[in-house]
Amino acid sequence: MNSLLALIKREFWENKGAIRTTPLVIGAFHVAGILMAVFTMSHFDADGYTTKMAIAELGKMSPEMRSEILYQGGLASSAFFAVVMSFVVFFYLLGALYDDRKDRSILFWKSLPASDTLTIASKLLTAMVLIPLAFLAVFILTHIVTAIIISITIALSDGNPWTLFIAESSPLKVWSMVAASWLATSIWSLPMFGWLLLVSSFAPRVPLLFATLPPLILTVLQGWIEFLQSFSLQGNLGSLIKDWFFNAPVIISAEISEEGAGPALGVPLTGDFDHAVTIANMLDRLFSMQMLAGLGVAAVFLVAAHWFRRRATES
Amino acid sequence: MSSIISARGLTKRYGRTVAVDNIDIDIPSGRIVGLIGPNGAGKTTALKAILGLATYDGELSVLGKNPSTQRAALMEEVCFIADVAVLPRWIRVHQLIEVTEKLHPGFSRERCMKYLGKTKVRLDHKVKQLSKGMVTLLHLAIVSAIDAKLLVLDEPTLGLDIIHRKDFHTRLLDDYLDEDRTILITTHQVEEVEHILTDLIFIKDGRIALESTMEDVQERFYAVEVEPDKISEARRLAPFYETRVRGGQHQFMYDGVDRDTLQNLGDTHIPRVADLFVAIMNGGES
Repeated sequence: MNSLLALIKREFWENKGAIRTTPLVIGAFHVAGILMAVFTMSHFDADGYTTKMAIAELGKMSPEMRSEILYQGGLASSAFFAVVMSFVVFFYLLGALYDDRKDRSILFWKSLPASDTLTIASKLLTAMVLIPLAFLAVFILTHIVTAIIISITIALSDGNPWTLFIAESSPLKVWSMVAASWLATSIWSLPMFGWLLLVSSFAPRVPLLFATLPPLILTVLQGWIEFLQSFSLQGNLGSLIKDWFFNAPVIISAEISEEGAGPALGVPLTGDFDHAVTIANMLDRLFSMQMLAGLGVAAVFLVAAHWFRRRATES
Repeated sequence: MSSIISARGLTKRYGRTVAVDNIDIDIPSGRIVGLIGPNGAGKTTALKAILGLATYDGELSVLGKNPSTQRAALMEEVCFIADVAVLPRWIRVHQLIEVTEKLHPGFSRERCMKYLGKTKVRLDHKVKQLSKGMVTLLHLAIVSAIDAKLLVLDEPTLGLDIIHRKDFHTRLLDDYLDEDRTILITTHQVEEVEHILTDLIFIKDGRIALESTMEDVQERFYAVEVEPDKISEARRLAPFYETRVRGGQHQFMYDGVDRDTLQNLGDTHIPRVADLFVAIMNGGES
């Protein structure tokens, strides 16, 4: 356990820029955007008339309504973090078993008494847990700073931030829902993570090409054969990956339903799962047949990655 | 288990090329063994097999373990420096020490700091800020602070200048060596390590050309500067290597011929390891 933690810490040191700096930059952009909006508004409207109008409108709403808007808004503001995080995880995993082969430091890492299984586990856990937690921490921080800015703005416009805003917000509910969503997505993404680690473990160079070309070529071939047989373009690897992404339990898009618009899990263009943001819908995905098959695929990829890692020296 | 390393029929093929061809090695505890061979002779391949970094055919036991299936356990007792600069370039010295300390049960931070204190390396340095020579000394300091039974060095001083090479060898003797520790070293700079070696293994085309202790080498082999009129007489004693040295003099190399007999032919002396190596590589097997 100590060895595993030491190896995960090592991953953090090596990838500080991606794991720590990137979310901080996104958070800073968020805060800067809000500050700019506030200043722009006060520049054109020195008396704060617009703000006062908005506060008055807010005051007319029922507390339940305010609470719901704040909750949905909080969830929605996590989407951009999730998008950037997915890029960070993607490139992290592509380099995870590749970079040390390239710069020959694998000869040092292999001279330490850490098994290849433990090494791969540390990289997988970094992608599944450490990176989401780092992004979550910054997301929470951003959320708090944003709330402070909004409270000050309301107070300066003679509103009461407590009754209008703070008392109605449920930050813990937002944060735990986002955390659950991201961790569920880590599990949901295991087939992809396994594939990226496998590519990373054997690619002699440019792992990005090795990761993307085979599925692309397979998809085109499948599509072509399918087209010749039935003039349709269904049932190929590409559409499987697309559906997998659309079904992901990550808060990334919006859904318009009878009750109004709200954030959604994945992209609500498939009928396989309910896309409303609830824990039950996340669990529904994790305990599905798709997930079971996906775990099987991930296991095959990870075993293959281990096979390559055991034989790997500098390339 | 008297041998630290024991190989029987060790073979490694890359496609059709045989890099290591059916070799047997026994290295007892407490020896400093020089594994010497020309480029491409199979030295690094053999070391990789011993360290569990490559698959192989044949039997191989290192500290009683099978390197190909028990690398992680083996690395608790084996240290390894592969030429220069395999330390990750992004890491800081204190991070390197921390990760080694947590992964290596036999690592002593205190000793590492003591050895580092003798160098110019600072804890907040990144490896990429250090010169090649400093990186090598840093690696040696870390390795010396690990309570390991076997140290494997693969061309540890390649690319270093003479001052750093000497420094490395001095540190190796002062900091690392004691009677329980075994060192297996490959190098091209034979003359710089020959005084510390206790055993020699020459490897040629994937096979062992010579495996001997230094004492035996010094009793078996003689180089003779043969006087011009005694050349045919000298050839009758079956030298395994003939060469011209400076001044056009003939130098003959003998294996297992009595020194008194040879002294009649000319100036007789124990050959330097480097000369013996060239003789065995270019001449016949001894």
